[in-house]
Amino acid sequence: MSIRTWLAERLPIDAVQAAIDHKTVPLHRHSFWYYLGGMTLFFFGVQVATGILLLLYYRPSSAEAYDSVQFIMTRVPFGWLIRSLHSWSANLMVAAAFIHLFSVLYLKAYRKPREFTWLSGMVLLFITMGFGFTGYLLPWNELAFFATRVGTDIPGAIPVVGDAIVTFLRGGPDVTGATLTRFFGIHVAVLPAITTVVLGLHLLLVQYHGMSVPPSIEDEAARIGRPVRVMPFVPHFALRDLFGWMVALALLAGLSAYLPWELGRKADLFAAAPAGIRPEWYFLWTFQALKLVPGHVLGLEGELVAISVLSLGALGILLLPFLDPNTTRSRRVVNWLASAALLFMAVMTIWAYWGGE
Amino acid sequence: MPATPTNPDRRRWLDWVLGSWFAGVCGAVFFPVVRYLSPPEISEPPTLTVKAGPAATLAPNTGRLVPFGQKPALVVRLKNGELRAFAGTCTHLACTVQYRPDLEHIWCACHNGHYDLTGRNISGPPPKPLDSYEAHEQGDEIVISRRT
Amino acid sequence: MTPTIRHAVVVGGLAVWLGATGWVVVARQPGTANVQDPAVAFQGDVHQQNGVTCATCHGAGTPGPVDRTKIAALCASCHSDPAFMRKYRPQVRTDQHAQYLTSVHGQQMSKGETRVATCSDCHKAHGVLPVRDARSPVAPANVAATCATCHADADRMTAFSRDPAVFDDWSHSVHADALLERGDTSAPTCSTCHGSHGATPPGIDSVANVCSTCHVREAELYRASTKRAAFEAMDMPACLTCHSNHKIVHPNDGWIDFKEPALCATCHATDTPGAPVIRTMRSGFDQLNASFHEAEAVLTRAEEAGMLVDDGMTALRDAQERRVRLRVLVHSFAEEPFTASLTEGLAATTRAQAAGEAALEELSFRRRGLALATLAILGFLLTLGIKIRSLPKP
Repeated sequence: MSIRTWLAERLPIDAVQAAIDHKTVPLHRHSFWYYLGGMTLFFFGVQVATGILLLLYYRPSSAEAYDSVQFIMTRVPFGWLIRSLHSWSANLMVAAAFIHLFSVLYLKAYRKPREFTWLSGMVLLFITMGFGFTGYLLPWNELAFFATRVGTDIPGAIPVVGDAIVTFLRGGPDVTGATLTRFFGIHVAVLPAITTVVLGLHLLLVQYHGMSVPPSIEDEAARIGRPVRVMPFVPHFALRDLFGWMVALALLAGLSAYLPWELGRKADLFAAAPAGIRPEWYFLWTFQALKLVPGHVLGLEGELVAISVLSLGALGILLLPFLDPNTTRSRRVVNWLASAALLFMAVMTIWAYWGGE
Repeated sequence: MPATPTNPDRRRWLDWVLGSWFAGVCGAVFFPVVRYLSPPEISEPPTLTVKAGPAATLAPNTGRLVPFGQKPALVVRLKNGELRAFAGTCTHLACTVQYRPDLEHIWCACHNGHYDLTGRNISGPPPKPLDSYEAHEQGDEIVISRRT
Repeated sequence: MTPTIRHAVVVGGLAVWLGATGWVVVARQPGTANVQDPAVAFQGDVHQQNGVTCATCHGAGTPGPVDRTKIAALCASCHSDPAFMRKYRPQVRTDQHAQYLTSVHGQQMSKGETRVATCSDCHKAHGVLPVRDARSPVAPANVAATCATCHADADRMTAFSRDPAVFDDWSHSVHADALLERGDTSAPTCSTCHGSHGATPPGIDSVANVCSTCHVREAELYRASTKRAAFEAMDMPACLTCHSNHKIVHPNDGWIDFKEPALCATCHATDTPGAPVIRTMRSGFDQLNASFHEAEAVLTRAEEAGMLVDDGMTALRDAQERRVRLRVLVHSFAEEPFTASLTEGLAATTRAQAAGEAALEELSFRRRGLALATLAILGFLLTLGIKIRSLPKP
């Protein structure tokens, strides 16, 4: 106790303790979705830990990248586990982030005063996809190489600045070792730095505002004239969070041991593109949508139209809290739009998997 | 059935079991990490550089095949003592080539392909030259490395 | 049938027969096509590009076909003149006509037999392309088909008592496979063994020399072996005795055995001299092939389970190479270099097998580790569940 007193004189632990003691989480039939943010955070933690471990052996140059990953997979004790964990956790993190996004969307948690929580969350999602896109190339295998070539080519359709963006992304006119070094820098330095700030803001805002109660639950509580039930954050919510994380850990371990992430064949800059080039699953729907757009739409270049529509969609969803007047009607519209978007993404993904050949 | 929260003995026991299991989980997490951090037997990937055996035992006008990554490499000591290294795989049908002291050049036994001591295909079916590597002595050992 | 009808049928039939034969003869006869066709074909001809005109070969006035017996001499008037040819390509050869005169084609042609090949039959009369042009009928990939226009024609070959199956035989050979399927232009086609301008079947005494231009090691071993003297005494055509001449199929380890259809069994029985060698090689290959397949199976199993087994694969490649070398050593027809090499091959398969087994062992270690970790997590989850349920109701 004396250490605690000593620390309390120097650090604001009493205040933190008080905040934790008073923190509560609403308890209702949609409470389950509150765990998705924490789940995403857990996968992010795994990414940070395994990512740092991988850095000890990985070498970011076109001559060595593939062999160093192979080295990690075959020679380093438990290297296979660390790399498979990193790959699997990355995918599960994207999945968790998407579910988090849609649960927030359906439960209208973005409404006043949580606009900036939503904004920072959307930025975090874009950053996550950036992590995925840059990380995919790092093992320097054939599939990733060609998928990156296709992926970085997309901004080329934008008038005026398109080519400059492509050159910037690739670190030259084409995907080469320069792209690898660049992606590596973005993956392990640029994005983590931005993430630290934005994630800090996001978590701070979540603490500041507390969990949002969905309008339907609020209305119900108002109708029966009783406040929404709550549970203490510690230990009730925290232990349940921990429970979820442990399930995720077991899942990750099982996936890594039974389905170790493949390495594929080393990228050959001069080889013809192999069949079955495809990006990671969370980019598949975009990939398929771009593939389906005709060459010209209303006299404009098809790809440009598709990119514009997608960008407008992204901008719309980013600014959603400011666009949604938060009436009963607008909530219904948002639900319909969200469902339509989900359906579109699902259909496109399935199409790319089974009908795209 | 939820237990009565007022039973302190039971709660203490539960916390103790929980702590033990948690220690087990921590062990399962940290054991691989600690093993991962300990340097592997071969300390770096054999991509760019590989040790090609003692220099003293490679006499002038002889060659030696060594593994380089997953493919063989041929180290040759010329008559004047100079070291050269080449990819050991014939460019014709991927047989392993060898140094022929009598011809003083590199030869593939499969279909009589000949390469000179710069790796150029000079006779027979090989369609293109052998890749050449850097070879030099580092202490008592020959080290070959890919040209970058 | 009235005489008139019979007459009509006979005359009609005769007319149809004459017409058909005439058409076939005309169609087959070189140089009877439309006069404009040669002029068109001549565009792009290497001669046309170097200033040769119709009159250079056909003389002034109305051009007519050059007599077949005179074609070679006509070509030779330039192509055998070193001083003239040097002006176009300083290193060009000028011995083709001399070679042609020694060939079976040239000798028959000298006797006035016009059904044999002359320059224009292989190089074309108009539209001649350099040999290094891939479209040329004498480019490596096209030579066999060019020879086949006559040599696969049963009627034409029977007249000279030649075998019309040679092209078909060659087409089924490892050489045709290498040349046409894999695009290896160094693989032998007709002219590689028979010569081009001096085309003649190689004699029995020169067969081994022809094959050894590429199959050096085999030839070296064969020449040093006891087999050579035996084959020569029996007038056996060296390599061809076992490998045949045109239909050279991929050799098979099963050739070495005492039971037909194994090749050795053609002459050897279990009690003839050389039987111990056959026995050694037979059991050597059986041993190596079995251990190779076993190692391969283990490695495949490990690989399919998601393990990277590069070491094993390298060892297996090594074993494969030693197996190939061992197959070459068969041509020593002796036990000694064979058994030494066999030991090396078996050592390589053992290494591959060990790597595969180590990978499978590692895999089961991972599974056990996972089981332990899962057990710890499950235990933790179970206790945590109880703990959560025992928390006071909010």
